[in-house]
Amino acid sequence: MRIPVVGLLLATAIGTSAVAADKRPPLPTYMQAYTPTTVDERGIWMEADERERVQRDSRSLVKDPALNAYVRGVLCRTVGEDRCRSVRLYIDEVPAFNAYMTPNGAMVVWTGLLLRVRSEAELGAILGHEFGHFELRHSLKDFKSHRTGTDVMAWASILIRNSANIQYSVVGQMYAFSRDQEREADMTGFQYLARSQYPSSAAADVWEHVMGEADATAIGRRGRAQHKYVAGVFATHPTDLARATYLRAASIEAHDVKRAVVDTHQAAMAKWLPVFLNDQIKLNDFGGSEYLLANLADGTGWSTPLLCARGDLYRERGNPRDLVSAAQFYQEAIGKGDAPPEAYRGLGLALLRSQQVAEGQAALATYLRLKPAATDATLIATLIS
Amino acid sequence: MIILCRATLVALMLAVTAIAPAYAQEKTGLKPGFVLAPGTARIVLMRPSIRVGAQSTGGMYEPNADWTDQAKENIATALAKAQTGLGNSVVGYVEPVGAGSAKVAEYQELFGAVASSVIEYQFFKGNRLPTKKRKDQFEWGLGPDVRTLPGLDKADYALFITTEDHFGSTGRKMLQVFAAMARVPITAGVHKGFAGLVDLRTGELVWLNADMQMGGDVRDAEGADKRVRQLLEGFPGKPIEAPIAAAPAIASAH
Repeated sequence: MRIPVVGLLLATAIGTSAVAADKRPPLPTYMQAYTPTTVDERGIWMEADERERVQRDSRSLVKDPALNAYVRGVLCRTVGEDRCRSVRLYIDEVPAFNAYMTPNGAMVVWTGLLLRVRSEAELGAILGHEFGHFELRHSLKDFKSHRTGTDVMAWASILIRNSANIQYSVVGQMYAFSRDQEREADMTGFQYLARSQYPSSAAADVWEHVMGEADATAIGRRGRAQHKYVAGVFATHPTDLARATYLRAASIEAHDVKRAVVDTHQAAMAKWLPVFLNDQIKLNDFGGSEYLLANLADGTGWSTPLLCARGDLYRERGNPRDLVSAAQFYQEAIGKGDAPPEAYRGLGLALLRSQQVAEGQAALATYLRLKPAATDATLIATLIS
Repeated sequence: MIILCRATLVALMLAVTAIAPAYAQEKTGLKPGFVLAPGTARIVLMRPSIRVGAQSTGGMYEPNADWTDQAKENIATALAKAQTGLGNSVVGYVEPVGAGSAKVAEYQELFGAVASSVIEYQFFKGNRLPTKKRKDQFEWGLGPDVRTLPGLDKADYALFITTEDHFGSTGRKMLQVFAAMARVPITAGVHKGFAGLVDLRTGELVWLNADMQMGGDVRDAEGADKRVRQLLEGFPGKPIEAPIAAAPAIASAH
């Protein structure tokens, strides 16, 4: 966000003088405590301030200091200490893959994103991308582009008979503008990653997993998996395939061989993993959730929370064969010795519905013994008596 | 944003071809039988929601920070002036920090949702809910828990005020002229506002005044006076409308 034109020129000049040593394109110049001056920018900052109040007071905000410190730490290690100090970070409990940055410097990260990335580097890739939007002042440019576009359309609709073609082409340009900004933010985020302690190949990894999950969701819903290289006219973002491809090419070119960093992602997520997995299971997306669980297990092995979540996933779809699988997953989780009481609850319900009444009731009794104050204790008790 | 779409084509097209809806609506609702005797109640004014900006040629809202700041100042002054005419004391709400702030934010949102429902399903005659069809059926509320909001335990009523202005830009007004020649109705400017009074002991909405085409330019003091007068039109317990100039005299007489 903070690039006065002079600063940008200066940065370019310095960049060219040092070109022999460093072939990487320069980063935007950082300026602290930027205050907008134009009417448009001051207006959108004011609106962003109001929205930030709402975000700050939202009930879905995850306030856990440890998790916030972790995400902030990754952001700081990606974009640098000075830049990250200007960001207010908000973690919002929404089970979808998204993050955004408002024009005034508030970053909002959805928990579905934290669940999907598998390492600090992958998280850093996304946070760097979002910070790129902020630093390049994309919201302002987007606002102006939309205004120009709608102005042209308004005049065309009044003055020109059969102006539909003009309107379509103007709208098309507005979306193309948006895709260009996404690409620009992708490359800026990539620059941060390449300069950080994280391997820059993580940026492409993220998009490959996103595609994998989209395929799994489509197949699970009996649709067809589709990946296009070229985005449609009304796409706000480049296609996942295009992003994965150009980011992969950039990382091969950058050739940044780095020593492996200690990755604390799993440790930071440990406490929240069951909560975020539970949110994910409720999305009723069997294919996508199954892919996600397998993807997570690929990194950590089938841990207790992953097994419990997989049990819930199968039990909720609830075909007779699913109930058998669910019971097995719960039993595996219990076998690991650190399963929560809810594993016995899931096991009991799955067994009951598979007509294994005695075993099911025994598991439910164990659940009630382990967690007598459970909110559903009365209801579960009726299933035993 | 990574995945979510920002604007749909439909929304864009709508912004351009917005046609002025006819507001054959009522503006004020009062709970049947409700009276507010002067000098008996302590009313807390919640943080007003005030947005002021311009409307671009294509109909887009362009938020303007200076105008909004001016409007906030002017409306606060106008409210202080109008208070003397309301018959009861109105004090500003001190927003809590920390845990309580989330609850206050939720109630602000809830009031907005209830007020929009009243406007849509009661004030607009053709759209009335079956339970709101008869004359004496003004029954709306935020629930009795509103009294548990921090800092409201000693108050009797909460007053909510919302205004939103999009002043038509020169381009929009020119477009309007040309559109009129082509017989396409296009509005320039949005000026809407509503004010509501909530009984803190029961959580009931006892009075709501809403207007989708308000007067008064909130960017100057005179206009803000007019806007506040319109917002508080029909305020319960208000003494017979006195000329504005006379109001300070009454205040000093006390």
